[in-house]
Amino acid sequence: MKAAVVVYPGSNCDRDTYHALKLTGFDVDYAYFFDQDLSFEGYDLVVLPGGFSYGDYLRPGAVAARENISRKVKEFAENGGLLLGICNGFQVLMEMGLLPGALLQNEKGKFICRWVDLVVEDNTTPFTLAFKKGEKIRLPIAHGFGRYVKVGEPRVVFRYRENVNGSDEKIAGVASESGNILGLMPHPERASEEILGGEDGRKVFLSIAEYLESRGAEK
Amino acid sequence: MSVYKFMIDVQYKSNLRDPRGETIKRVLKEEHGVPVKELRIGKSIYVEVEAASSDEAKELVKKMCEDLLVNPVVETYEVRSL
Amino acid sequence: MRYYKELLKRLGREPTPVEKEAFAVMWSEHCGYSHTKKYIEKLPKVGLGGNAGVVALDEDTSIVFKIESHNHPSAIEPYNGAATGVGGIIRDVLAMGARPTAILDSLHFHRVIDGIIEGIADYGNSIGVPTVGGELRISERYRYNPLVNVMAVGTAKNEMIVPSKASRAGQVIVVFGGATGRDGIHGASFASEDLTGEKATKLAIQVGDPFAEKLLIEAFLEMVREGLVEGAQDLGAGGILSATSELASKSGLGVQVHLERVHLREPDMQPWEILLSESQERMAVVTSKENAKKILEIAKKYMLYGDVVAELIDEKVFRAFYKDELVMEVPIDILTTPPYEEPLNYVPGEMPDFNELDFSYTDATQVYEQYDHMVGTDTVIPPGFGSAVMRVKTGKFYALSIHSRADLTLQDPYWGTYITVVESVRKILAAGGQPLGITDCINYGDPDVAPAGLAAIMYALKDSAEHFELPVVSGNASLYNTYAAKPIPPTMVIGMVGRVEKVVKPKKGKVYLAGWHGFDLKREELLHKAIMKARESGAFVLTPSNFKALVTYEKSFARYGMKLKVKEIEGEPVHQMVLVFGKDNLGIPMQEIGVLR
Repeated sequence: MKAAVVVYPGSNCDRDTYHALKLTGFDVDYAYFFDQDLSFEGYDLVVLPGGFSYGDYLRPGAVAARENISRKVKEFAENGGLLLGICNGFQVLMEMGLLPGALLQNEKGKFICRWVDLVVEDNTTPFTLAFKKGEKIRLPIAHGFGRYVKVGEPRVVFRYRENVNGSDEKIAGVASESGNILGLMPHPERASEEILGGEDGRKVFLSIAEYLESRGAEK
Repeated sequence: MSVYKFMIDVQYKSNLRDPRGETIKRVLKEEHGVPVKELRIGKSIYVEVEAASSDEAKELVKKMCEDLLVNPVVETYEVRSL
Repeated sequence: MRYYKELLKRLGREPTPVEKEAFAVMWSEHCGYSHTKKYIEKLPKVGLGGNAGVVALDEDTSIVFKIESHNHPSAIEPYNGAATGVGGIIRDVLAMGARPTAILDSLHFHRVIDGIIEGIADYGNSIGVPTVGGELRISERYRYNPLVNVMAVGTAKNEMIVPSKASRAGQVIVVFGGATGRDGIHGASFASEDLTGEKATKLAIQVGDPFAEKLLIEAFLEMVREGLVEGAQDLGAGGILSATSELASKSGLGVQVHLERVHLREPDMQPWEILLSESQERMAVVTSKENAKKILEIAKKYMLYGDVVAELIDEKVFRAFYKDELVMEVPIDILTTPPYEEPLNYVPGEMPDFNELDFSYTDATQVYEQYDHMVGTDTVIPPGFGSAVMRVKTGKFYALSIHSRADLTLQDPYWGTYITVVESVRKILAAGGQPLGITDCINYGDPDVAPAGLAAIMYALKDSAEHFELPVVSGNASLYNTYAAKPIPPTMVIGMVGRVEKVVKPKKGKVYLAGWHGFDLKREELLHKAIMKARESGAFVLTPSNFKALVTYEKSFARYGMKLKVKEIEGEPVHQMVLVFGKDNLGIPMQEIGVLR
């Protein structure tokens, strides 16, 4: 199981995500923005971590979505690779047009960092196999621009149980129709160890591992 | 080649909520007693480009809006020559 | 300029206009610590000094920490003042070779100032350093002088600690980071007629660039890991002048600076402006000529500007050139040994009976919720429970607190400060920590008008630190916090770090009040032992300063799905009571007071 964590300039959850993937048993590499020869060949999973890529100075994720490394990310996903975008990574996926909708400033205009209650709406994606459908879980959020605005009918994977940021239909995470791309605002990597307050997030990484193992067995 | 100056006004589409604008509108109405009917907050981007003609400059600005500066999913824009 | 006569005497001639500017900065209170220097010399210390203090967590890991104030800038422009305050103190910790791991802030306002909160939040959140603790004190007395003190903490492998000085002639200094503009240049003796209206505002207000800071952190740590950094200092007040001259003079060396090599944001800057620019997000690195190229490559890789701007020389002078023109040349020691005020002697009196003053405590959850306090995945005890507890991923833990009692220092600067340290020790013990060291930030009115209060604070810091056998590893002083000649309450903010062996999280069950309603210093040791005993038995402990202000605890517990319900508790303004969760026999007076559900 080989995973790459993309490091954009301004990413700041790259090391946290690396740590959580390691704990789950992945071989993990960083994919740095300054590495010209970067390739995702041979990787099973690419993660776009949280942070403030390019300072989020224009719109969150906008600049990152249009640079070289992102073209390779897109190619990887179009070939069926598993692509996970967390927080700023989710915003990048939106800006890349890989997931439908947009993420705008929170309803109250303020950054929010807290644990929130969620429900797993779809446990058939490679990222959510280990959950039960309708399972109630707790994950941290930390974002200023997490208000999901719906375009069309997205494949909703996670939903907040209460209105936390004004998202349409309390949507917290969506997947591509094909299911190999997931974006979510909450941080599963921050809920991967009991000492940090919970382990529900770890199940996202365990799901991916389970999926990859079963796929490997099929092959 | 000459330098052309533009102001790009970016607004969220009018069917989208603008929580910041709503908040400021409420403050203006309730605390300052100003009868604001509508208030929306967008952003302005000032650019200077070098081009052979004003038409070429306008094309360049349009391109940068579509490539990066504007998110067509939720935003609209207008370009003003200065 | 305050010490102009002294400058004439030491130089033996009239200073040039450039020198006047240079000395005005270098000999300012901000850079020179004129009023506190002699007191600081008497404080118990440990190990090497530098940009920030260092204590050992264990045989492999050091903790680096320091507090700094950004009061005046935050009063002028709340958002950017507070933001750049975070940036500055982060670079102090970074310059020691440590990865910044935590921010804590101490805020004194007359009401919650959103701009300041947002400034801290936007900067800290963006650079990926969690804001894990703080205090928020509300009093009308801070209406014109809000206090913004920020504590930064970092960890480093011991062998990675970087000295804040050069070591030999022939080394070079690279300045890298953001581009240099006219930020923060006051121009006291230049073109004063130009410094009015819009231009003056433009010059004084500094805008933070957290994106550049984040890149600076990663680039610098890579330089350290690659073994390229032989010394470092962040660029703050006094800019290139201050950083290069201090790096050189601490090792008995001199330095030659070439100002035309500095990458400018505003191309028409005068040489003296380049020398004194306080542009944020820049760092000075001492390295060898051979390694300078590698440093520049790393800076470039991280989208930063970098230039070799100076070389260390044997001759003890500070010399600045612009192209071939000599901009300034002075003996370096004059520059870096500012004059100081003679300290006062202070003999403390008896501790007075303190009165309750108009300091209120508001719900701080609404503030810390705007701070990313979890990034880094090392926050084990989050904000809202007194001290934060952090993890090092090697399996070690440390506790952090920031604390002040301006309501007491206002009534008695000596005992108010002393009790601030006492309560800080309690807070660290309650988090399961063994205190390792102190960092302090003095916020004071006018020391020329009221020198005795400052002396009292400094003596109390010394006496209390000695009492607990704790080093004061770093500190900062913000003086002249007055408005219409009226001073703020003397406000001594104490930051403390402790080593934690065992993490205890709150469990539901009965809550007990342990200790005594009043305060008796001789009894404090008993309380400390009781706290440690509670912790060893796995009980969670909280140490509120004021039992009327449990709202933040209540709201914080609620965020973790628990409900704290305790009876009303009467306590004196200074007391020796703590809340113990689920343990009722600690050998000191105890009573059941409520429940955590």
